Amino acid sequence: MKLLTKTNQIYLAFSLVVYLFAGLAFYQVVRFLIYKEVESRLRVERLDFESYIKTHKSWSDTTYFVENKIDVDPVGARAQQPETFSDTLIQNRYDSERMPFRQLTFYTPIQGKLHRVAIRKSLIQSYQLIEVITVTMAACLGVLLLGTFWFQGKLSGRLWHPFYETLSRIKRFNLASTTPLQLDKPEINEFRELNEVLRKMGDKMQQDYRSLKEFTENASHEIQTPLALINAKVEQLIQSEKLTETQTRWIEDIYQASRRMARLNQGLLLLAKIENQQFTNNQTVDLAGLLTEKLEDMEEVLNHKQLLVDVKNEKPFEVQLPVPLAESLVTNLVNNAIKHNHPEGRVELRSDGEQLWLGNTGSPLTTDPERLFERFKKEGASPDSVGLGLAIIREICENYGLQVRYEEQNGWHRFCISRKAEEVG
Amino acid sequence: MKVLVVEDEKGLAESITDYMSKEGYLCETASTFREADERIYLYDYDCVIVDLTLPDGNGFQLIETLKKLLTTTGVIIISARNALEDKIRGLEIGSDDYLTKPFHLSELNARVKSLIRRRNFGGHTEIRFREIVVNPSARKVYVNGQLTVLSRKEYDLLLYFLSNIDVVLTKVSIAEHLWGDNIDSADSLDMVYSHIKNLRRKLLEKGGSDYLRSVYGIGYKFGES
Repeated sequence: MKLLTKTNQIYLAFSLVVYLFAGLAFYQVVRFLIYKEVESRLRVERLDFESYIKTHKSWSDTTYFVENKIDVDPVGARAQQPETFSDTLIQNRYDSERMPFRQLTFYTPIQGKLHRVAIRKSLIQSYQLIEVITVTMAACLGVLLLGTFWFQGKLSGRLWHPFYETLSRIKRFNLASTTPLQLDKPEINEFRELNEVLRKMGDKMQQDYRSLKEFTENASHEIQTPLALINAKVEQLIQSEKLTETQTRWIEDIYQASRRMARLNQGLLLLAKIENQQFTNNQTVDLAGLLTEKLEDMEEVLNHKQLLVDVKNEKPFEVQLPVPLAESLVTNLVNNAIKHNHPEGRVELRSDGEQLWLGNTGSPLTTDPERLFERFKKEGASPDSVGLGLAIIREICENYGLQVRYEEQNGWHRFCISRKAEEVG
Repeated sequence: MKVLVVEDEKGLAESITDYMSKEGYLCETASTFREADERIYLYDYDCVIVDLTLPDGNGFQLIETLKKLLTTTGVIIISARNALEDKIRGLEIGSDDYLTKPFHLSELNARVKSLIRRRNFGGHTEIRFREIVVNPSARKVYVNGQLTVLSRKEYDLLLYFLSNIDVVLTKVSIAEHLWGDNIDSADSLDMVYSHIKNLRRKLLEKGGSDYLRSVYGIGYKFGES
């Protein structure tokens, strides 16, 4: 439910209750005032009546010709009773309508005899007054209610506009982008503060996100120098003539480990850079052509492992990639095809313009194919492999509108690269 | 030959200096930008090895100053950043080579030698070791005056050895020199072995002495002893 709908609902319900009570209270107050007025007039009339009796010593109905105005009835000797007010309905003289009256009843002796005197005053005008007042008030309140309702709607819409604007901006805010969260400075303090706080939070989040991303990169950079140092020292150490065989083996191990770490580090660095989108110079490159070239470059290795290469490029497979990444993609694909091949195996390259396959023969997978592209997933326990090659391939593909798929069939392992659906056409 | 090593990591600078000194270079080190800046104003160097990230400045700036002062000085950048932009920028402002850390000292040495050769003689110089003569501009090798036909890799291998006489070169460093960083090491080490075997055979066939020796199984050494 929208905030404005909710406030309107609450406002409406509350207003209705308040108006109802206000109406009732108003009615009561008006009634009370009218009764008070009527009663005070009746009291005055009683005084008039009593002074009339005092001067004339008797009572005649003729004095009052207004109907039902006064009733004077002799009553038996009774104890003095106090005056009482009461409501009563009395039949009209001309039609059968019953009219509301207010009646003051008191007992007074006339010519020595106790009489009950009832003086009445019609309430019909007062009731009409109450009716008119009630209707007018209801109408006014209704109009007021509708008016305030409409006004409230308009006002809230306007007042809350900065809020909704902020909300939509936050929705569009992208943590990974470099553009900061831009929010207006509304004149309302609370919204301005809200925007201020959000902007600060956004900046902080972006900054944290950036530093987190940069951390990998910086860490990798920092690691390179100590690695260079280890390498250099080992290289110096092996120049020494007085090494035993065991020592040499240790040194060799240190050396290998440091090289591996360097490669690992470079792989992570590359991944971080791709993730950070630090490669920007997209160019049209023909991956099929590049792969063919790479396979030619690797001829020596291929010959060494006695691998047979079969290239069938019907059409070039052109993609938009930064050159270093295209290079890395191709190198990793080819290295992978060679590394996991068995001697006298085969490598095949196919391209039909829409898809690109690089397949190699090799022993069946032991790991889950789904997890093949994860970092540090190694097929076999090869100490030389750092397990980042396929992760790099996937990262490159995903960041540049390509998708890579792995399939295994009849002892063949194939990597298929194709354009993502929305990129086609 | 005077070489200035600008590197803030003292241990690494020391290793480079030691290695280069053995090759007969006069090596000096500077560990800060200011120190390096001062030195290039005061002295002339044949080659300067510059680390790009210095605690108090940027290596690029140093190269720019250097190129303004003395254009013939060769510049090799050593950097932890393997960024194409850095390499391009380095070349644009006049550096000659770019090595990414971690590198092999032997590789650095080979690069320095090749650089100095190119600088001093415009590439038209012969490299001599005993009966072996290499003409780098024509990429031809003579043993006892006889032309010896080597494959491209064998030639590169020989030149790498000739740049690092009497130094143990690790198999990994040889593999990376020949095929670059991206080579898968398990296969490349075997290939190094076969190339070395072929090179040795070809040199021996022309009556050369056997200068190649395997050392501890970790690498190879080319030299008289």
